[in-house]
Amino acid sequence: MSIDVAKQIPLITLVGPPNSGKTTLFNYLSGKNFKTVNYPGSTVEYYTCKIQEKFNIDANLLDSPGIISLNPNSPDEEVTVNSLYNHPEFGVPDLVIATADASQLSRHLLLTKQLLSAGFKVILVLTMRDLLEKKGLKVNTEKLSKLLRCDVVQVNGRTGAGINDLIISIEKNLEEIENHRKVQPYTISNQLSKENLLNLYSEIENLTRAVIEPIEIPDLEKINKQINILNPVLQESSLQPDLFTLKLDKILLHRKYGLLFFFLIMTTMFTSIFWLADPFMTMVDNFFSYLAQTSSELLGNTWYSHLIGDGLISGTGAVLVFLPQILILFLILGLLEDTGYLARGAMMIDKPLSKIGLNGKSFVPMLSGFACAIPAMLAARTISNKRERLLTIFIIPLMSCSARLPVYVLLVAFLTPSDRPWLGGLLLASIYIFSIVSSIIVASLINKFSKKLIRTEDTSSFILELPAYRIPKLKVVLKNSYLNALHYIKRAGPIILLLSLVIWFLTYMPNHSPQIDATGLNEEEIIQLEKSERLATSYAAELGKFIQPLMTPIGMDWRIGVSLIAAFAAREVFVSSLALIFRVTDDENIQSSLLTAMQTATNQETGEPLFTASTVIGLVVFFVFALQCISTIAVSKKETGGWRIPVLQLIIFTSTAYLLTLVTVNGLKLLGIN
Amino acid sequence: MKTAAELKHGEKARISDINSDNPSYKRLIEIGFTPGQEIELVNTSLFNDPLAFSIRGTLIAIRRNEADCIILS
Ligand SMILES: Nc1nc2c(ncn2[C@@H]2O[C@H](COP(=O)(O)OP(=O)(O)OP(=O)(O)O)[C@@H](O)[C@H]2O)c(=O)[nH]1
Ligand SMILES: [Mg+2]
Repeated sequence: MSIDVAKQIPLITLVGPPNSGKTTLFNYLSGKNFKTVNYPGSTVEYYTCKIQEKFNIDANLLDSPGIISLNPNSPDEEVTVNSLYNHPEFGVPDLVIATADASQLSRHLLLTKQLLSAGFKVILVLTMRDLLEKKGLKVNTEKLSKLLRCDVVQVNGRTGAGINDLIISIEKNLEEIENHRKVQPYTISNQLSKENLLNLYSEIENLTRAVIEPIEIPDLEKINKQINILNPVLQESSLQPDLFTLKLDKILLHRKYGLLFFFLIMTTMFTSIFWLADPFMTMVDNFFSYLAQTSSELLGNTWYSHLIGDGLISGTGAVLVFLPQILILFLILGLLEDTGYLARGAMMIDKPLSKIGLNGKSFVPMLSGFACAIPAMLAARTISNKRERLLTIFIIPLMSCSARLPVYVLLVAFLTPSDRPWLGGLLLASIYIFSIVSSIIVASLINKFSKKLIRTEDTSSFILELPAYRIPKLKVVLKNSYLNALHYIKRAGPIILLLSLVIWFLTYMPNHSPQIDATGLNEEEIIQLEKSERLATSYAAELGKFIQPLMTPIGMDWRIGVSLIAAFAAREVFVSSLALIFRVTDDENIQSSLLTAMQTATNQETGEPLFTASTVIGLVVFFVFALQCISTIAVSKKETGGWRIPVLQLIIFTSTAYLLTLVTVNGLKLLGIN
Repeated sequence: MKTAAELKHGEKARISDINSDNPSYKRLIEIGFTPGQEIELVNTSLFNDPLAFSIRGTLIAIRRNEADCIILS
């Protein structure tokens, strides 16, 4: 074995039960912003980072997915256990920081005890001390430290209280190991029989009884010391779940109305994306329109003015005007995640989902699929049953991710009559509901007819902790949404920019200054005629001839076809491509001028209007189903361990998209909707 | 022999054993369902499955068939 450089600075691994505050602590120590969520199983992959300089400790810190015991039960737990025993890059950790929720000490000490008996060097960090204090109790850390024979400190990762004790303890422990050989931990799988577990638990019960004390009131202190028996009433109260949570659950988990609230919450969420974002969208739009106008005034009617005005500013601007929607989607999802409600949602729909081969735990991955399919597929690691996990991954591309949001908002704006703007939010919500219903149908079809698609079979189970409700930390949620949106721009921005340039080139060349008969035309008409002449003789039109046969049956022409193909690079490119191909005037707002251009565009084959209710709804259907995202395919391959599932997804979803668009467009036409 | 699946809404009982026939029995023990603990059925979903129990100061949702291997005294 070789000793590589990375090993020379010590590795500290954070390990603890799900939702015990590991990532919160990791973020505090590293100064990073990884996602913390009030749901057991929010971290599903390990992350490493150096400890912030201000703490003066030269060490790598590793955050891991929550585990209940050293006996892993699902892929995310395997990630942690594997990284403890044999991390591919860093080997065995020099020091383990075990987190335990102080208000759930009797459950969370199980893992700490296992880690200690496996021979790891452990510091126990008690989190959520504030929650225990609310019950009038505290932990005697000195006593616990003696009994466990490891350092015990209390830290609040949200405020940083107690962090100094932890730093001192880390320094001390690192010093101690410096002079020793690295300990090789034992595997303790032989210690995990039922008998052993029960013994371990009764040890822990004795421990907790000894260390949990009522918060001292000076007078009581003396009495307590004298009798040294704990008030039995206080012992009982430590066993009561959070009262506020119990009360709220009476409503939100109501046997009959719980599901109703669930659907109400989901619908409100999706409708508000449209409404809340609207005013901000106008602001962004004004900004880009101003840019486009200024550049065309400065540069005149030249090819480079067209390149900058059309290719760069309008192309990217047409997509970026939808950034407010994306930001608000992240914000609402973040708020919902931080309340603790998601675990309830998972519980309530476990039964219906299990009927179609999924699991209640598929709910959170599916919901995060509305932001992006990539983290969503990773989140499916919390599902222990392999078949259910693969099926969840299979249908995640059907969730309407944020990349589709610009497309949908544009198409919804086209369909919404200007005198009834409230309809927009409802239309958008119905697209979301349609995508959920479609994914349910796809899942049940696959579950029913094909044991071959997903081959594994093992026992299904649903055991999920329902965390106490918490008021979301607005600051954290806002920051995370901002970072997510930033990440979105960084990911999609360059692709949109590049593709806009490519499309501009393909639609502008080679006939960049076409000869037209300009007699009797005003300036506007000249520009318009020039533009359509240029487009008709462009490279894109050449390419378009190949796709026209596919577009004719669905009532569209090659110009939409080119945009659909471009959307395979990133779905948002569809919007910028439409803007490049159809938009003519640049003295209006980008969005409204694009809508006007769409309203007047005619099908070059038939001469009929190109964008009608039927073709636009057809386009929505296409985007709901088509798998137009290369990163999704790559992650699907990685998470399913082979090419089979991603290739099937690509073929099935994209062909379904085309066929259903065909049916929708022609069906609607038959019904007289045009 | 009464099991946790037979508890009524709001009913409390003490665990006497965990039936090791169920494949999830170890996980149930690991998560805190151990003999001697008091549990209460606090919430049921529309289809009476899963069930949410209060145990050791936490709420844990498990499926009905899993609750069926928690034997009460
Ligand atoms: N009241 C209180 N809440 C805390 C404290 N530490 C963390 N939290 C909250 O607890 C929740 C879970 O925190 P995370 O850091 O995501 O927990 P985790 O251990 O990384 O969870 P997994 O990744 O799911 O295993 C979040 O909502 C945090 O804001 C604390 O000391 N007190
Ligand atoms: Mg985490």
